[in-house]
Order: sequence, then structure tokens, then C-alpha cells
Amino acid sequence: MSTPALELTDVTKRYGDFTAVNKINISIPQGSVYGFLGPNGAGKTTTLRMILDILRPDEGQIQVLGASSAVQVRNRIGYLPEEKGLYKKMKVWAIIAYFATLKGMSRRMAKDKAYLLLEKYGLKDFANSSVESLSKGMGQKVQVLSSIAHDPELVILDEPFSGLDPVNQEVLEQLIRDLSANGQTVIFSTHVMQHAERLCERLLLITQGIKVFDGTVDEARAIIPRRILLETRDDISSIRSLNGVLSVQEHKIDNETLLAGTRQWELYVKEQTDPQSILQHCFQSGVSLSRFDFTQASLHDVFVHLVGQEAREHNFR
Amino acid sequence: MRVTLLIAWREYMENVKTKGFWLGVLLVPIVFFLVFHVSSRLATATPTRYYMLIDQSGEYAAAVETAIRREHQHRVMQDFMRYLQDNRANANNAPVHAEPSSQLAQLMDDFGNDEVAALDEWLSNGGLDFALVMARPYLREGAPEFNAPRPQFVAAAPPADVNHGAAPQDIVEQLRPYLNNERRIDVDGERVSLFALILIPADVDQDIVRPAAIEGLMTPDGGPRGVQYWTGNLTDTRLSSAIQNSINSAIRQQEYADQGIDVEAVRNVQRTRLPLSRLDPGKAVGQEQVSLADTFRQWAPMGFVYLIFISLMQSVQYLLSNTIEEKSNRIIEVLLASVTPGELMMGKLLGIGLTGITTILAWIVSFFVFIRLYQTVETTMIVQVLDVLLSSELIPYFVFYYLCCYALYAGIFLAIGSLCNTLKEAQSLMMPLMAVLVVPILTMSFIAQDPNGTLARVMSWIPLFTPFTMMNRAAAQPPVFDIIGTSVVLVLTTVAVLWLSGRVFRQGILRSGQPPRIIELWRMLRRTAG
Repeated sequence: MSTPALELTDVTKRYGDFTAVNKINISIPQGSVYGFLGPNGAGKTTTLRMILDILRPDEGQIQVLGASSAVQVRNRIGYLPEEKGLYKKMKVWAIIAYFATLKGMSRRMAKDKAYLLLEKYGLKDFANSSVESLSKGMGQKVQVLSSIAHDPELVILDEPFSGLDPVNQEVLEQLIRDLSANGQTVIFSTHVMQHAERLCERLLLITQGIKVFDGTVDEARAIIPRRILLETRDDISSIRSLNGVLSVQEHKIDNETLLAGTRQWELYVKEQTDPQSILQHCFQSGVSLSRFDFTQASLHDVFVHLVGQEAREHNFR
Repeated sequence: MRVTLLIAWREYMENVKTKGFWLGVLLVPIVFFLVFHVSSRLATATPTRYYMLIDQSGEYAAAVETAIRREHQHRVMQDFMRYLQDNRANANNAPVHAEPSSQLAQLMDDFGNDEVAALDEWLSNGGLDFALVMARPYLREGAPEFNAPRPQFVAAAPPADVNHGAAPQDIVEQLRPYLNNERRIDVDGERVSLFALILIPADVDQDIVRPAAIEGLMTPDGGPRGVQYWTGNLTDTRLSSAIQNSINSAIRQQEYADQGIDVEAVRNVQRTRLPLSRLDPGKAVGQEQVSLADTFRQWAPMGFVYLIFISLMQSVQYLLSNTIEEKSNRIIEVLLASVTPGELMMGKLLGIGLTGITTILAWIVSFFVFIRLYQTVETTMIVQVLDVLLSSELIPYFVFYYLCCYALYAGIFLAIGSLCNTLKEAQSLMMPLMAVLVVPILTMSFIAQDPNGTLARVMSWIPLFTPFTMMNRAAAQPPVFDIIGTSVVLVLTTVAVLWLSGRVFRQGILRSGQPPRIIELWRMLRRTAG
């Protein structure tokens, strides 16, 4: 395996007494799609800025595309910042081309590439409009295009989905898949889990500047044990001792639709446990079920599980 | 370097596309043209002034009328001289040129050297009619007719109910509503406002001041003495001074007559004169005569100082608004992922500097076009003066001081821009700097008068003032020590300011929220320096 596209070692950033990012370690392989997740104020943007060497870390090392500073390889990086802005008076094609030329492309190639991208992602008709005439969402698409026009090896997108309608979110997801298919490494931050779930191979979860998770999506899901919901009027104590069952709790609900005498139980089971075996056991031991639900934990659940408390506290601060 | 140039080019192209830029480029020549074109027309456009004359002494009415007629003839003569200079056949563009053979040339020579004498000559020869006849053969073909200006001061009769024999204060009391413009007077059936009342009391001769007995200008009871000139307009003093001169001259003639002196002889004596040659020791032998162009050249640096100032003011706007646009639009972050803050700053400096230079060039070009298209005596004179200017050593000075001044102040303003999120915030930070910038403009004329004096020398050594002050002194051959010394200090300061501004820029550019306090700024500089 070649050198990772990005490697952070014990990276720390403080603003006075406040530690924005605390000893973050990550390694992102080339060609992967990597998600930065975390609640507001978790330190995602600060981390991304440090990766780009816009901010300097107080401690730790950052290796970007084999270089010790993004400045040395800046022409191989594309960046979409969290707060989007474009020169209002410039034409759409010109601004894409301008940013591409800043990244080392020749003027002619940059112009051709700008038109190509605008056509590919449905903005061809606006190529000669001025940026100020665009809607916010379109402006954001233009900015995404201007960050990838020079075919960067590493694309860093800070909150690329915010402010886009569902259709354009689809377009952007496709764009990220296109980049990935092209062998480009994509890092993006978001707090919309569905995007991360659909796109990312690996993800990083940080809260209050601390890394709480780094791994694949499946690994993330495994953090929350699988849950089975049972509804029965029979005794279920025999299930407790089953192999792979972690815990059984009564699920108290004020629901009148529940049949008289029946109770609801929540079973937490190990990752590799087959729900079928539990169902089978119920049949064999004569527990008659009126309901059997098996749900896979979503990334959303993982997120809330891992950072829920802090995120709420953060909101009240 | 490539990136810096790209940024500069974009900055330049964007600035050049703004309305403000074109306004700046076009407004100055338009204003210049208007001032030039309209000011010459404006004199004739001054409204007719109506005055009222009440002479209780019965001695000076004629003198006052003479004064007013002379005032008018003076204007007629001035206009005629201008007309002659514009329309003379084979005029070789010399503003005043002597051809001893002709009486006309004699008059023009007189006019140039001694206007009073020329006016006497003019009046005694029969004024305009004679001059027109005399000048006719010398006018170029197709010269337009001469239009004499209208009389500017016209007598108005006092209202019928005013008793000419009443006490002066009663007359003034009666006419006060007219003087205060509360009532209007009738002149040939037209209602017009009264400009001035000239009231000569019956006992005015008692107030004649003779050298032996200088008293206070006011009588012990505080009343006015001598001729009373009442007007609500305090700025237009032409009429009052003309009357004063004329009455004094009438009184003096009376005095001469009383003492048995020949009035004609006195006048001839008064017209005797010895020319004064203004010479410049710095010029070649035989050419020390100080010409008009030389005088202009001495004052020209002030023009350059203004040019630097105006151009700087324009650039400041771009520097601040463009930096703040990038900051408030958050474009800055994308840019910083592609370029270093240093490259960004230099690109901006360069691009906006080019904008400023373009503006100045546009002004100069339109100025040349203007004086080619609009040829009069004044503009042909300007052409001569410009030739002197362009061939002088002032241009290199200007280029050097312009560039240094721009780099120095642009560095400071960029740093300010990087610390602010809105123009409003920037404005409050700019105030002290603006106060500093006013100083060279305020002291400009003092320095031009005493280019190597203490004030000039001290200010030259203060880097913020050096470009302005040294430019101002440039025509006066300042000591070489001053030129080189201040330039070294200026260049070093400029480099230091750019370096420091780069630090502030780097820190400030990603800041949000309020501009920092001084102490924070200091920490900022130390942090990046370490």
C-alpha cells in the first residue's frame, strides 16, 4: 500500500485556554472517501484548516500527500470551506477557471475544464451569468466545481451538503462517487449521517476536539449492539442465558394498542449473533411471540450514542 | 510569483470593470474642463449689481461714478486684451509679446506691466471704440466680433419718499429693508434687489485723514466716519475698493490743486517705473531670467503632491473594500488553500497599484487631449509649462515617491482591511491614519514657499510624510543628504511596514468578530513572529 493521502499525529490546537482539537490521530488511505462527523463546534473545521496549513497546529504533525505542509502540495489539493463565498461580480465560468489557474492550470485548459464541469453537473446555461445572479444552492455547486476543477488528488469538502436541496444533494453525492472512482481521495465533513452512511468507506467522529471513533461504517454500527424487540405474554427468562445475548430489559411503553397481558422486551445482542437463532429458540421453548423486530443500528444512532450528551450540553453553553 | 501575478491581474480586471473606477477616470478631466471652461465664462455671468448713491456733500458723486465707469472699462479692457491675444494675426503663442512698432503692442505691453497705466491710456484714447479701430488690421482672418461685457454695477434711483437732506442714520433706517433684501427697488419697471448704498454725508470733508493727525477710524460717539458703504454682501469688494480708490484720487487731486502742484506732472511721475527682473542663480548665465514657466515649475510639485494624494485615496478604497469583500464573503479561505497570505497580499498590492497607475495615466492622456482640442492662451501656456515639466527632473521624483507612498500606505491599509469584517469597522480604524494624511496637504503650501526650511526638513524625515514632503521640495534642489537619507529611511520603513502588515494580514484574514484592540494586535505580531 502506498503512503496514506493524509496522516495526522497527535494534532492539537488551542485558542487560549480552549482546546479546539486535542491529540487527533488519523490516517487516510489514498483513493478513499472519508467522513468527518461531529456535532457543531466539535473541531471539524479547525482540523480541516490545519490540514490545509491555513492554521498551524500547536502540537503534532500533519503529512499531506507525503509532504509536511499542504502549502508544498497545494496544487494537488482542492478545498471547499464551510462558509461559502465567491466573487459576486465574476462570471461563473471565469471564477472556476480562476481558481483552477491559481492551482497551476493554464488559462486555456482551465476555461475548457470549467465549461466541461458546468455541462456535466447541469449548470451549462449559467456559464456566462455573473455569480450574484445565482441562487445560494447553485452558487454552492459552482464553488464545489471550482474546488475540483484542477483534478486534485485530495479533495477536502467542509459541509458540502448544507444548503442544497435533495436533488442537488444527489448530484453532489454522484460527484463525490465520480471523484472516488477516478482514484481521488475525498474528505468531507457533515452532520447529516445519511450522506456519510451512503458515501464513506471510513469515518472519523470527533466531539469537543477529541476523537471518539475512527473506522469503517460497519465498525461504527457495531458500537451500538444490535437490538431485538420482543412482544409476548410468556416468561422469557430462558432467553437471558442464551449465547450472544448481552442484556434483556423490559421496554416500558404507554401504549394501549398492546394486547392485554403482553409485555415488550428489548434484547441487545452481539454483532455476530444471528437473530434467527433467537427466533428459533423462542419456538423451541414455547414462547409465543406477537412481535419480533430486529433493527440494525443506524449511523445516526451511533452518533447520538457517542456524542449525544456532549452535543446537547454544547447547545446550552 | 505566477500566483501573485494571477491575483494581481484578477484584482486589476475586477477594479477596472467597476463603475467607481470609470467615475474616477472621467470625473477628474470633466471637472478640470468645467473649471477651466466655466470659470472664464463665470465672470461675465455675475449678476448685475444695483447700487444707490446719495451724495449729501455734492462733491463726490462724480468720483463715484468715475470709479464705477473705470471698473467697467477695466473689465472691458481685460476682455479685449484676452480677445486680442486669442485672435491676433500671426500670433506666435507668446502670452504677452511686444512689437514696438505698433501702438497696439505698446498698449499690450503696458497692460502686462502696469494695468493702471494701461487703463489710463485706454480711457484717454477713447476706450474700446478706438482700440477696436486700432486693432482691426492686426486681427487674424475670421476673428469673431468682440462682445463687450455688460456693465456690472448699475445705479438705481432712491425711492421717491427718501429725503436726501435727512440725517444719514435716518436715511439708512429708511433704506434698511432694501439693504436686507426685504424689499425690492424699481429700476426701469423691474423689481430688483439693492446691492449697496453709498452714502456720502454733507460734512464728509471733516473726516479726511491727513498724515499729521491719525486718529481712530471711529468718532468718539462710535458712529461711522467718511463715506458710508452699506451692503449685505461682504465678499464682493470690487465696488467698495473701486469707490475708495476713486474718491481718494479725487481728494488728492484737490489737495494737489490746493497746494499748487501740477496734477498732470504728478500723474506722469506716478507712472514712472523701473522694471524688476526676477533671476534664478541656478540657471545658466544669460538665461537667469525667471519666466512664468519657471515659477510654475517651482509650484508644480504641489500638483504632484495632490496627484499622489488623490490617487492614494482612490487606492485605499479598493484596498479596503476588496479585502473586506473577500473576508466577509469567506472567499479568503479558498484563496488561502491555494496561495499564501504573502502572495495574496502582494497580488493585491500589485493589482490595485496598477489600477491607480491606470487612473493617473488616463488623467494625463485626457489632459493632453484636452489641451490639444481646446486651444486658448491659457492652454498654450500650459503646453509650454508642461514641456518644461516633462523635461525636468521632477518626473523621476514623482515616480519614486508615488510608488513608495503607495506601498507604504497600502501595506497599512491592507492590514487594517484584514482585521475588519465591515467597512464601518475599517472606517473607525482608518481615522487616525486619515488625520496623519491630512498633515502633508495642510503644510503643502508652507513647504512650497520655504522648501528647505525647518518644517520641510523635519517632515522629510518622518517616513509617513517623506513622499509628500520630498515631492513638494523636489524643485528646490534640496540637499543631497536629505534626498538620499530620507529615501533610505523611506524604503526601509516601507519594507518593514510591508513585512509587519504581512504578519497582521496573515493573522487578521481569518479572524471574525470585532477588530482587535492594540494589545491583541501586539500579541498577534509577536505570535507570528515567533
